[in-house]
Amino acid sequence: MSEMERQGDADCAQVVLRLFEYVDHEAAEEDGRRIRQHLDECGSCLREYERDLLLKALVKRACNREAAPETLRSQIMARISTLQITTHVVRDEPR
Amino acid sequence: MTLASLAPADTGARVPGPLRFAGHSSPGAGLSWTTMTSDEATEPPTDEATNPDHEVDVEQETESERAERFQREAMPLLDQMYSAALRTTRNPTDAEDLVQETYAKAFAAFHQYRPGTNLKAWMYRILTNTYINIYRKKQRQPLESDAAEVEDYQLARAAQHTSTGLRSAEAEALDHLPDSDVKKALASIGEDFRMAVYLADVEGYSYKEIAEIMDTPIGTVMSRLHRGRKQLRDLLTDYALERGFINEATVKS
Repeated sequence: MSEMERQGDADCAQVVLRLFEYVDHEAAEEDGRRIRQHLDECGSCLREYERDLLLKALVKRACNREAAPETLRSQIMARISTLQITTHVVRDEPR
Repeated sequence: MTLASLAPADTGARVPGPLRFAGHSSPGAGLSWTTMTSDEATEPPTDEATNPDHEVDVEQETESERAERFQREAMPLLDQMYSAALRTTRNPTDAEDLVQETYAKAFAAFHQYRPGTNLKAWMYRILTNTYINIYRKKQRQPLESDAAEVEDYQLARAAQHTSTGLRSAEAEALDHLPDSDVKKALASIGEDFRMAVYLADVEGYSYKEIAEIMDTPIGTVMSRLHRGRKQLRDLLTDYALERGFINEATVKS
């Protein structure tokens, strides 16, 4: 294995380790720059990156917002209202 | 009907009322909100400057005013809270209970919430706490965060990386999986992983914010995300195999 290739492997290992931070936009600036540069040059890391991106998108897509049942909404509202009344009744009593 | 119509105007001293919810003695415990207060990165800049609810003097506010403000600010988050609760508890009945409990606690502790800060994240923290305290005890399921697997994700990832070529075929297959498969996979991984992944990928929270919400160090968040996604990916690959979208040769290349 040539010096170049070994250098490349080391880069790949580093990049793959840090890739999820990059995907989450959490990589430090310097790391991000290095990863971006590596992805430009390395097809297998780029595919890895794309797969991570895809997984993130899949989760977001699958967990689209679902409407809460109307009964739940009214129950919560009722509970808040009841509490309001209770609070005031109890507090006003000793006066 | 507004809440104000249910309660007389009150200008008296702020005595903590007998706000009790289902036997939770200290609904506000651990809800201090510090590092997230200045971080609005994940929230679109709405009407920050003009929303009077962000300028409220909590000390001077009457209880009915506070209840109305809670209603105005927290109720619009209901669908999001319910959706998260559905993914967290994995069934509609528990999800409704969890959301009810979350709103009850949030309302009781609302005086501790600092106006103008990230209310949704604050609510998420209550939801997460509530889930952990109540439901996890109840349905004591074996956590999939086995110690054996801890931290060798680094090796696993490095090893995985050696396969090349047909990777994109697999990615293509994953993309065609129905949403129900993705939900099933999410439901199958450990709940700590599931929550971390949900907060990161669906809500787009930063690691710092997830750490606040889940009350863990950032390193733990990263580890949960990393391992959770690895498990998700493996599960989804299995589903794709079962559906015949890919074959063993593709995966084991």
